[in-house]
Amino acid sequence: MPKTASALGAVEVGKELPSLKKTISQRQIDCYSGVRPKSIHTDVEWARQKGFPAPLAQALMATAYVSQMMVRWLGTGFIQGGKISASFIKPVIVGETLTARGVITRQEEVAGRPYVTVECWCENQDGVKTLVGSASGFADQLRA
Amino acid sequence: MIEFKPISYEDVTVGEEFMSDDFLIKPEDVETFAFAVDDHDPWYFEDSPYGGTIAHPVLLGNQALMMRHSKYIIPAGLHAKMHFEFVEPIRTGMRVRTRGKVIDKHEKRGRHYMVTEFATCDEATGAVLVRGQFTQMLFPKSGVHEHAKNR
Repeated sequence: MPKTASALGAVEVGKELPSLKKTISQRQIDCYSGVRPKSIHTDVEWARQKGFPAPLAQALMATAYVSQMMVRWLGTGFIQGGKISASFIKPVIVGETLTARGVITRQEEVAGRPYVTVECWCENQDGVKTLVGSASGFADQLRA
Repeated sequence: MIEFKPISYEDVTVGEEFMSDDFLIKPEDVETFAFAVDDHDPWYFEDSPYGGTIAHPVLLGNQALMMRHSKYIIPAGLHAKMHFEFVEPIRTGMRVRTRGKVIDKHEKRGRHYMVTEFATCDEATGAVLVRGQFTQMLFPKSGVHEHAKNR
Protein backbone atom coordinates (compact mmCIF):
# COMPACT_ATOMS: atom_id res chain seq x y z
CA MET A 1 0.00 0.00 0.00
CA PRO A 2 1.59 3.32 -1.03
CA LYS A 3 2.05 5.86 1.72
CA THR A 4 2.05 9.62 1.48
CA ALA A 5 5.21 11.54 2.23
CA SER A 6 3.60 13.33 5.14
CA ALA A 7 2.39 10.07 6.64
CA LEU A 8 5.92 8.74 6.69
CA GLY A 9 7.79 11.96 7.23
CA ALA A 10 10.27 10.34 4.89
CA VAL A 11 11.06 13.33 2.70
CA GLU A 12 13.57 15.39 4.59
CA VAL A 13 16.35 17.40 2.99
CA GLY A 14 19.68 15.95 4.05
CA LYS A 15 18.32 12.46 4.62
CA GLU A 16 20.30 9.63 2.98
CA LEU A 17 18.46 6.93 1.07
CA PRO A 18 19.21 3.26 1.75
CA SER A 19 22.25 2.44 -0.37
CA LEU A 20 22.66 -0.47 -2.78
CA LYS A 21 25.84 -2.50 -3.21
CA LYS A 22 26.64 -4.36 -6.43
CA THR A 23 29.65 -6.50 -7.32
CA ILE A 24 29.71 -6.69 -11.09
CA SER A 25 30.54 -10.00 -12.76
CA GLN A 26 31.56 -10.57 -16.36
CA ARG A 27 28.41 -12.60 -16.89
CA GLN A 28 26.28 -9.65 -15.80
CA ILE A 29 28.16 -7.36 -18.17
CA ASP A 30 27.68 -9.93 -20.94
CA CYS A 31 23.94 -9.99 -20.29
CA TYR A 32 23.71 -6.21 -20.15
CA SER A 33 25.79 -5.36 -23.17
CA GLY A 34 25.52 -8.46 -25.33
CA VAL A 35 28.64 -10.47 -26.10
CA ARG A 36 30.50 -9.15 -29.13
CA PRO A 37 34.03 -9.31 -30.42
CA LYS A 38 35.82 -5.96 -30.43
CA SER A 39 33.87 -4.74 -27.40
CA ILE A 40 35.57 -3.12 -24.42
CA HIS A 41 32.81 -4.67 -22.31
CA THR A 42 32.97 -8.29 -23.38
CA ASP A 43 36.24 -8.89 -25.28
CA VAL A 44 39.20 -9.14 -22.90
CA GLU A 45 41.86 -8.71 -25.56
CA TRP A 46 40.11 -5.77 -27.16
CA ALA A 47 39.76 -4.05 -23.78
CA ARG A 48 43.49 -4.49 -23.22
CA GLN A 49 44.27 -3.13 -26.67
CA LYS A 50 42.28 -0.05 -25.71
CA GLY A 51 44.41 0.41 -22.62
CA PHE A 52 42.23 -1.11 -19.92
CA PRO A 53 43.39 -3.92 -17.61
CA ALA A 54 40.14 -5.89 -18.08
CA PRO A 55 36.69 -5.41 -19.60
CA LEU A 56 34.67 -2.43 -18.41
CA ALA A 57 31.16 -2.54 -17.05
CA GLN A 58 28.91 -0.49 -19.27
CA ALA A 59 28.53 2.92 -17.64
CA LEU A 60 24.77 2.80 -18.09
CA MET A 61 24.58 -0.12 -15.64
CA ALA A 62 25.13 2.32 -12.81
CA THR A 63 22.05 4.32 -13.82
CA ALA A 64 20.08 1.11 -13.29
CA TYR A 65 21.34 1.02 -9.70
CA VAL A 66 20.23 4.63 -9.17
CA SER A 67 16.89 3.78 -10.77
CA GLN A 68 16.49 0.80 -8.42
CA MET A 69 17.18 3.02 -5.42
CA MET A 70 14.57 5.53 -6.58
CA VAL A 71 11.89 2.99 -7.57
CA ARG A 72 12.21 1.33 -4.18
CA TRP A 73 11.54 4.67 -2.53
CA LEU A 74 9.23 6.68 -4.80
CA GLY A 75 7.51 3.83 -6.65
CA THR A 76 5.10 5.09 -9.30
CA GLY A 77 6.29 8.64 -8.63
CA PHE A 78 9.55 7.67 -10.29
CA ILE A 79 8.15 5.36 -12.98
CA GLN A 80 6.00 8.26 -14.24
CA GLY A 81 7.78 11.57 -13.86
CA GLY A 82 11.17 10.45 -12.57
CA LYS A 83 14.46 11.73 -13.97
CA ILE A 84 18.12 10.78 -13.78
CA SER A 85 20.99 13.01 -14.86
CA ALA A 86 24.35 11.27 -14.56
CA SER A 87 27.95 11.93 -15.45
CA PHE A 88 30.26 8.94 -15.69
CA ILE A 89 33.54 10.11 -14.26
CA LYS A 90 35.56 6.93 -13.87
CA PRO A 91 35.49 3.61 -15.72
CA VAL A 92 34.33 0.56 -13.75
CA ILE A 93 36.30 -2.65 -14.27
CA VAL A 94 34.72 -6.12 -14.05
CA GLY A 95 34.83 -7.45 -10.49
CA GLU A 96 34.61 -4.05 -8.87
CA THR A 97 31.95 -3.36 -6.22
CA LEU A 98 29.83 -0.25 -6.64
CA THR A 99 27.67 1.32 -3.97
CA ALA A 100 24.83 3.55 -5.12
CA ARG A 101 24.01 6.33 -2.70
CA GLY A 102 21.66 9.29 -2.56
CA VAL A 103 20.95 12.28 -0.32
CA ILE A 104 17.77 14.36 -0.56
CA THR A 105 18.70 17.88 -1.59
CA ARG A 106 15.42 19.55 -2.51
CA GLN A 107 11.69 19.32 -1.95
CA GLU A 108 9.29 21.38 -4.03
CA GLU A 109 5.85 21.30 -5.58
CA VAL A 110 5.48 20.42 -9.26
CA ALA A 111 2.04 20.37 -10.87
CA GLY A 112 0.53 20.47 -7.41
CA ARG A 113 2.42 17.40 -6.25
CA PRO A 114 5.43 17.01 -3.95
CA TYR A 115 8.60 16.50 -5.98
CA VAL A 116 11.99 15.59 -4.56
CA THR A 117 15.51 15.77 -5.91
CA VAL A 118 18.33 13.57 -4.72
CA GLU A 119 22.05 14.06 -5.23
CA CYS A 120 23.18 10.59 -6.22
CA TRP A 121 26.46 8.91 -6.86
CA CYS A 122 28.09 5.52 -7.20
CA GLU A 123 31.41 4.80 -5.58
CA ASN A 124 33.72 1.84 -5.97
CA GLN A 125 35.22 -0.37 -3.26
CA ASP A 126 37.91 2.26 -2.66
CA GLY A 127 35.36 5.02 -2.11
CA VAL A 128 36.16 6.62 -5.47
CA LYS A 129 33.14 8.06 -7.24
CA THR A 130 32.40 6.61 -10.67
CA LEU A 131 29.01 8.28 -11.31
CA VAL A 132 27.76 11.62 -10.03
CA GLY A 133 24.47 13.31 -10.70
CA SER A 134 20.91 13.74 -9.56
CA ALA A 135 17.66 11.81 -9.58
CA SER A 136 14.17 13.09 -8.90
CA GLY A 137 10.52 12.18 -8.87
CA PHE A 138 7.13 12.66 -7.29
CA ALA A 139 6.91 11.86 -3.61
CA ASP A 140 3.18 11.43 -3.05
CA GLN A 141 3.03 7.66 -3.38
CA LEU A 142 6.04 6.53 -1.36
CA ARG A 143 6.71 2.85 -1.43
CA ALA A 144 9.05 2.61 1.50
CA MET B 1 21.09 -0.06 -48.46
CA ILE B 2 23.18 1.45 -45.71
CA GLU B 3 26.89 1.97 -46.34
CA PHE B 4 28.42 1.56 -42.90
CA LYS B 5 31.61 3.48 -42.27
CA PRO B 6 33.79 3.93 -39.19
CA ILE B 7 32.49 6.77 -37.07
CA SER B 8 34.56 9.91 -36.91
CA TYR B 9 34.10 13.30 -35.35
CA GLU B 10 34.30 14.87 -38.78
CA ASP B 11 31.55 12.71 -40.25
CA VAL B 12 28.97 13.17 -37.49
CA THR B 13 26.80 16.23 -38.16
CA VAL B 14 24.56 18.23 -35.84
CA GLY B 15 20.97 17.55 -36.87
CA GLU B 16 21.79 14.05 -38.08
CA GLU B 17 18.97 11.66 -37.23
CA PHE B 18 19.07 8.09 -36.02
CA MET B 19 16.46 5.41 -35.59
CA SER B 20 16.71 2.07 -33.83
CA ASP B 21 15.18 -1.15 -35.04
CA ASP B 22 11.84 -1.94 -33.46
CA PHE B 23 12.00 -4.23 -30.48
CA LEU B 24 9.41 -6.46 -28.89
CA ILE B 25 9.85 -6.49 -25.10
CA LYS B 26 9.72 -10.11 -24.05
CA PRO B 27 9.62 -11.61 -20.55
CA GLU B 28 13.10 -13.03 -21.15
CA ASP B 29 14.43 -9.52 -21.82
CA VAL B 30 13.13 -8.32 -18.46
CA GLU B 31 14.59 -11.39 -16.76
CA THR B 32 17.98 -10.96 -18.44
CA PHE B 33 18.10 -7.30 -17.48
CA ALA B 34 17.14 -8.14 -13.89
CA PHE B 35 20.05 -10.57 -13.68
CA ALA B 36 22.44 -8.09 -15.27
CA VAL B 37 21.73 -5.36 -12.73
CA ASP B 38 20.65 -7.61 -9.85
CA ASP B 39 17.23 -6.03 -9.48
CA HIS B 40 14.41 -8.53 -9.06
CA ASP B 41 11.69 -6.13 -7.93
CA PRO B 42 8.28 -7.89 -7.76
CA TRP B 43 6.81 -5.15 -9.94
CA TYR B 44 8.82 -6.65 -12.81
CA PHE B 45 7.86 -10.28 -12.17
CA GLU B 46 4.63 -10.52 -10.19
CA ASP B 47 2.38 -7.49 -10.21
CA SER B 48 2.59 -3.71 -10.10
CA PRO B 49 0.21 -0.83 -9.30
CA TYR B 50 -0.39 -0.58 -13.05
CA GLY B 51 -2.10 -3.99 -13.15
CA GLY B 52 0.35 -6.62 -14.33
CA THR B 53 4.09 -6.44 -14.55
CA ILE B 54 6.16 -3.54 -15.84
CA ALA B 55 9.80 -3.42 -16.95
CA HIS B 56 12.80 -1.62 -15.46
CA PRO B 57 12.61 2.07 -16.39
CA VAL B 58 16.13 1.98 -17.86
CA LEU B 59 15.61 -1.27 -19.80
CA LEU B 60 15.71 0.52 -23.14
CA GLY B 61 18.71 2.74 -22.49
CA ASN B 62 20.86 0.62 -24.75
CA GLN B 63 18.37 0.88 -27.59
CA ALA B 64 19.00 4.63 -27.50
CA LEU B 65 22.76 4.38 -27.09
CA MET B 66 23.10 1.90 -29.94
CA MET B 67 21.20 3.99 -32.50
CA ARG B 68 24.41 5.24 -34.10
CA HIS B 69 25.34 1.63 -34.81
CA SER B 70 22.58 1.66 -37.44
CA LYS B 71 24.77 3.96 -39.58
CA TYR B 72 28.33 3.67 -38.36
CA ILE B 73 30.94 1.12 -37.39
CA ILE B 74 31.84 1.95 -33.78
CA PRO B 75 35.29 0.59 -32.90
CA ALA B 76 35.02 1.80 -29.29
CA GLY B 77 33.59 4.68 -27.35
CA LEU B 78 32.94 5.87 -23.86
CA HIS B 79 29.68 7.11 -22.46
CA ALA B 80 30.15 10.44 -20.68
CA LYS B 81 26.67 11.61 -19.63
CA MET B 82 23.09 10.35 -19.56
CA HIS B 83 19.82 12.11 -18.91
CA PHE B 84 16.61 10.08 -18.60
CA GLU B 85 13.03 11.29 -18.21
CA PHE B 86 10.64 8.47 -17.44
CA VAL B 87 7.22 9.31 -18.83
CA GLU B 88 5.15 6.13 -18.88
CA PRO B 89 5.73 2.59 -17.61
CA ILE B 90 7.39 0.19 -20.03
CA ARG B 91 5.49 -3.05 -20.32
CA THR B 92 6.21 -6.52 -21.55
CA GLY B 93 4.56 -7.08 -24.92
CA MET B 94 5.12 -3.54 -26.16
CA ARG B 95 6.90 -3.09 -29.47
CA VAL B 96 9.14 -0.06 -29.04
CA ARG B 97 11.48 2.05 -31.11
CA THR B 98 13.85 4.90 -30.32
CA ARG B 99 14.42 7.91 -32.54
CA GLY B 100 17.11 10.48 -31.96
CA LYS B 101 19.03 13.42 -33.32
CA VAL B 102 22.53 14.75 -32.81
CA ILE B 103 22.09 18.13 -31.09
CA ASP B 104 25.72 19.03 -30.47
CA LYS B 105 29.28 17.92 -31.06
CA HIS B 106 32.27 19.48 -29.40
CA GLU B 107 35.87 19.09 -28.40
CA LYS B 108 36.86 19.48 -24.76
CA ARG B 109 40.38 19.05 -23.40
CA GLY B 110 41.45 17.19 -26.51
CA ARG B 111 38.52 14.79 -26.49
CA HIS B 112 35.66 14.64 -28.95
CA TYR B 113 32.03 14.32 -27.93
CA MET B 114 28.64 13.97 -29.60
CA VAL B 115 25.34 14.76 -27.84
CA THR B 116 22.17 12.99 -28.94
CA GLU B 117 18.60 13.57 -27.81
CA PHE B 118 16.17 10.69 -28.00
CA ALA B 119 12.63 9.50 -27.41
CA THR B 120 11.59 5.89 -27.03
CA CYS B 121 7.98 5.26 -28.03
CA ASP B 122 5.40 2.52 -28.03
CA GLU B 123 5.02 1.71 -31.72
CA ALA B 124 1.33 0.85 -31.34
CA THR B 125 0.20 4.11 -29.77
CA GLY B 126 3.07 6.50 -30.41
CA ALA B 127 3.19 7.27 -26.69
CA VAL B 128 6.54 8.46 -25.40
CA LEU B 129 7.82 6.11 -22.72
CA VAL B 130 11.26 7.54 -22.05
CA ARG B 131 13.11 10.55 -23.41
CA GLY B 132 16.38 12.22 -22.68
CA GLN B 133 19.82 12.88 -24.05
CA PHE B 134 23.28 11.40 -23.82
CA THR B 135 26.86 12.40 -24.48
CA GLN B 136 29.25 9.91 -26.03
CA MET B 137 32.98 10.27 -26.46
CA LEU B 138 34.59 9.23 -29.69
CA PHE B 139 37.95 7.47 -29.61
CA PRO B 140 40.68 9.07 -31.71
CA LYS B 141 41.84 7.29 -34.83
CA SER B 142 44.97 6.19 -32.97
CA GLY B 143 42.66 3.84 -31.05
CA VAL B 144 44.04 4.50 -27.57
CA HIS B 145 42.64 7.23 -25.42
CA GLU B 146 44.65 9.28 -22.96
CA HIS B 147 42.08 8.48 -20.26
CA ALA B 148 42.88 4.79 -20.60
CA LYS B 149 46.64 5.37 -20.64
CA ASN B 150 46.44 7.29 -17.40
CA ARG B 151 44.71 4.61 -15.36
